[in-house]
Amino acid sequence: MSILQVQNLKARYAQTGDDILKGISFNVAEGDFYAIIGPSGAGKSTLIRCINRLVEPSEGSVSLFGQELTRLSARELRKTRRHIGMIFQEFNLVNRMSVMDNVLSGRLGYVGTTRSLFKLFPRSDIQRALELLDRVSLIDHVDKRADQLSGGQRQRVGIARALMQDPQLLLLDEPTASLDPKISRDVMQLIRDTARDLGIPVLCNIHDVALAKEFCNRILGLQSGRMMFDGKTADLADSDLERIYELEVL
Amino acid sequence: MNAYNSIQSKAPAREWSRYRFPRDLFRFTALLACLLGLMFAIDFLGIDLARLLTLFGRVGEVLSERYFPPDVDYVMQGDYLASVVETVQMAYLGALIGMLIAAPLAWFASWNVTLSRRVLYPLARLFIMASRSVHEMIWTILFVTVLGFGMLPGVCALVMFCIGFAGKLFAEEIEVIDMGPVEAMRSAGANPLQTFCYAVWPQIQTAWTGIAIYTWDVAFRAATVVGFFGAGGMGWYLKRNVQQLETERVAAILLSIVVLVVISELISAWARHRLNRKRDANRIAIEAEAA
Repeated sequence: MSILQVQNLKARYAQTGDDILKGISFNVAEGDFYAIIGPSGAGKSTLIRCINRLVEPSEGSVSLFGQELTRLSARELRKTRRHIGMIFQEFNLVNRMSVMDNVLSGRLGYVGTTRSLFKLFPRSDIQRALELLDRVSLIDHVDKRADQLSGGQRQRVGIARALMQDPQLLLLDEPTASLDPKISRDVMQLIRDTARDLGIPVLCNIHDVALAKEFCNRILGLQSGRMMFDGKTADLADSDLERIYELEVL
Repeated sequence: MNAYNSIQSKAPAREWSRYRFPRDLFRFTALLACLLGLMFAIDFLGIDLARLLTLFGRVGEVLSERYFPPDVDYVMQGDYLASVVETVQMAYLGALIGMLIAAPLAWFASWNVTLSRRVLYPLARLFIMASRSVHEMIWTILFVTVLGFGMLPGVCALVMFCIGFAGKLFAEEIEVIDMGPVEAMRSAGANPLQTFCYAVWPQIQTAWTGIAIYTWDVAFRAATVVGFFGAGGMGWYLKRNVQQLETERVAAILLSIVVLVVISELISAWARHRLNRKRDANRIAIEAEAA
């Protein structure tokens, strides 16, 4: 069963009018760990951001569990975004807040505005945050400020924050690009195992082809906004990789 | 032949000049234009530069003949001291209310996180710019004309001044924040107010505190003279004594203003220094931890 359906998705720069995405279509099914690979500037980040409309697509459709996302009002969009967890390359934590508050901020879509202004999160949310922090082995760092953690630890806070949303889909924007090779593998492993346990499909931007091949079951190859490959990881041949990266020069 | 010469001899013969045409022509022309403008202005205003040389001597003469000794007893009277308290309260109210209005305005006037780029952004910008473009003394005159003499027009003038002053600085701080956390909150389904409180506020908190202290400082300085235009406080006494040619009292009032402004500046400098030290200590602790 496909959970996320993307059809003929297009996006363009507001100023120049150049297309960044030139008609992308793919389906993410239950249990998928979908990788988007491609050279820098291919539109990987834009594609990921079009899914939850951090970037507005100019054309095409994105539907999650049959609900069309491109036509939602601002309020409906916020409601839907709650179910899409996102993990970022630069972690995007609030440095001056504690690890606990960073994780709890994943619940903002559920907690009323007034309550959230005074950081009055329900007891059940705090319990859930502690469970997740235990899961990502950060239970001893609950009260530390986010900027006191190492890169790998920060990304694990980012993962806990995304899981706090009770997501039905995880979007990963280069989750390992700011980490060293060993930590990168650990983080990917953690995400894969967690997603598997919770039964959440993952859509992941990644420039490291080896990591993509190791962790992902499906691969989408992008090159300057066009799809060059879409299929199972096992079917990705070296010639496909050459085609995807052919335009890249030093 | 040494290594340097051997490298040099292989380099292709090319012309290179530090100066680029027409870029440098424009630069030197602009510089020349500034200098000519300066000369023209001095000539146009008929300023006799030789008179400047005797300036200090004459200032000393006038001060010692007419303004010395300052009438210290006058500024120690109850009436005058009460006006000092009034001035402090006027500055406090003006700065506080002004900044309370400036804070949401600054949010709307920040291109990166404004609620609406088409409507609220230009309106908020316009309001802040309008408050800035009118000098605080002109605001005082305007409010005195509308509201009559007293403290209220003074407070209103200071509010307008603080909106312009703090609003601009507040907005500048918001516009340089890291947008990553903002994106993260939005992607989690947070509404704009939540996004502001969780992603923007933690990043600007320290800077805004510093700006608030600075704003108070400037507002207090302005408050000491708004009375000159009929808005109460110390400035009113200043005006009256200037008009009555009570120069020794004027000297004492000016002296009291200087003393108060210096005290206020010392306190705010100390507060800002503490704030910076706290921030530095934090950063050092983080770097130590990382190492």
